[in-house]
Amino acid sequence: MSGEAKASILEVRDLTVSFRTERGLVRAVDGVSLTLNEREILSVVGESGSGKTLTVLSVMGLVHSPNAIVEGSIRFRGRELIGLPDREMRRIRGGAIAMIFQNPMTALTPVYTIGHQIAEQVRAHRRFSRRAAWAHAVALLASVGIPNPSGAAHRFPHELSGGMRQRGVIAMALSCDPALLLADEPTTALDVTVQAQILDLIRKLRSEFGSSVILITHNMGVVAEIADRVAVMYAGRIVERAETRALFREPRHPYTLGLLGSIPPLEGERPRRLPAIPGVPPSPFAIPAGCPFAPRCRWSQAACAARPPLLAEEGHETACILSPEARAAARSELLAAPVGAT
Amino acid sequence: MSGQANGSLLETITLTKRYRVGNHLFSRHNKVVHAVERVSLAVQEGETLGLVGESGCGKSTLGRCLIRLYEVSDGRIFFEGTDITFLGPRALGPHRERMQMVFQDPAASLNPRRRVGELLAEPLIVHRRGTRAEIRARVRELLREVGLRPEHDERFPHEFSGGQQQRIGIARALALAPRLIVADEPVSALDASVQAQIVNLFLDLQERLGLTYIFIAHDLSVVRQVSTRVAVMYLGAIVEIGPTDAVLKAPSHPYTQALISAVPVPDPAAPNRRRIILEGDVPSPIDPPSGCPFHPRCSFATDHCRSERPALAPQGRGWDVACHYPLGTT
Repeated sequence: MSGEAKASILEVRDLTVSFRTERGLVRAVDGVSLTLNEREILSVVGESGSGKTLTVLSVMGLVHSPNAIVEGSIRFRGRELIGLPDREMRRIRGGAIAMIFQNPMTALTPVYTIGHQIAEQVRAHRRFSRRAAWAHAVALLASVGIPNPSGAAHRFPHELSGGMRQRGVIAMALSCDPALLLADEPTTALDVTVQAQILDLIRKLRSEFGSSVILITHNMGVVAEIADRVAVMYAGRIVERAETRALFREPRHPYTLGLLGSIPPLEGERPRRLPAIPGVPPSPFAIPAGCPFAPRCRWSQAACAARPPLLAEEGHETACILSPEARAAARSELLAAPVGAT
Repeated sequence: MSGQANGSLLETITLTKRYRVGNHLFSRHNKVVHAVERVSLAVQEGETLGLVGESGCGKSTLGRCLIRLYEVSDGRIFFEGTDITFLGPRALGPHRERMQMVFQDPAASLNPRRRVGELLAEPLIVHRRGTRAEIRARVRELLREVGLRPEHDERFPHEFSGGQQQRIGIARALALAPRLIVADEPVSALDASVQAQIVNLFLDLQERLGLTYIFIAHDLSVVRQVSTRVAVMYLGAIVEIGPTDAVLKAPSHPYTQALISAVPVPDPAAPNRRRIILEGDVPSPIDPPSGCPFHPRCSFATDHCRSERPALAPQGRGWDVACHYPLGTT
């Protein structure tokens, strides 16, 4: 448990990202607050359109659309990032804060070798000679487990396999020893065998460099393996947040319950039907005024027409009005065996 | 050979697919990709065979060869007892309508400029299945069958969510009342909460219509939920094939074991499992390793494995494995 106040590296307060569109203002991220502690791995879980990617892109200062409005506060080591001049943001981005994108093929330019791209990044942030930067790039490729790193540095992205490319992207993200790593679905495009290797790498990053990590994923298995805490997002809001063990032991929000219930088990009895969540996530143009999940929720009631606040009980936050008894009943109904109750 | 020894719906004998790569039209130095290597399997009516393996293992190519979407290089395919391996388009037609495919990306497999009603009517018109009114009625029935509303036939594909688009893809595959459906990663592009809906739909349709599936996926837990049997592929060949629950519980091939151990378990309180981290990447199918194709990454490999390729054969526990030293038998 995180009893004592740990030093926080990132403080996001009431982050709202909206877009001006022909059909009016659309809120893609709606009042998200989160704190990331030093050396912590936080997972953000949610479906496409839940706002999880936009949240981390805002931290990177990469929400560039002229029609986008980013409001709220993002403090990195006490320093406000929103409204920071581009010059200064560039110094932080890729340096103290680095990001790994989902698709390594689009994160790398096809016209330069891997080594060149990493060395370029190093020289953008540090006073390294070309030769030293190249040597650093090769060392980084070795540290992420690429066989024959000095040979691989001379290769172009298309000459590497998907797993090797993603390692290249990770090596680039690590090139300036980032204090904060933002990873957006870093293993989704990869095979499970490679995914296991990449997750090990992220763990090593924390233990060796002391980095803090925000890992976006939709895979609850990945969350269970790697995260200290989890934030579940739905329709631009955080609907549940807890320490990983607590969330899996006692999921409280019906959406989280639905997510956990819809994973087919890899062992034990197979359910005849999966308890799927009915319907689809709301379009950002038509997010319900009250609880955004209410239209898909089996336990919704009149009171759900008002927006439920994110309330904490013993460090476990939930944005849902159901009583503890109602939640327990929902749990036993949806989850055959309580997950993690062993 | 006159096929159908045991009444299988689909059977292959040493099915092989090779591609030539390189631009040297007249050169003898062209390289050959061994995408599918001597695959022999039989699929019984009403069952679901799951095909799993890493990307590039040939599972999609095999799936497409099975229903003749790709030309086969060698071997034989029997469907309903008929050798369809080299049938021309005209002779293949009547067989084709009873084997259909569902693709991974529903948005890419539906023509964006045509209404859903037209998309579903197309196969019915091509195969002359009744009058306009009958076809219209069938289209509405198909939409209901996959959990959409009949009045949705006036809409365009982009007006639907990913899960609904996949339902349309499934409806299109069902249009001609096939017996066999090859589904290539049909849920992997969908959001978690929608995946379960589509998995349930596959199971419901199978129960209602008595369909036979070949279900290609990389997600082992999804494959386990839908399949009666599972075939594990590595470098174009099947390395293990058997009853899904038994194989996933106690795999016989070291590769199957490594694949299962890599799946993250959604339970942070689970005792730390022994994870087998496979070193390196899948070797290139252009120049596959000698002997057992898995030997460079296998921790049990011996000289025997390096020199002689193990055949896919019964291993004593009731299913077939291509390994000289299958797990759990010694």
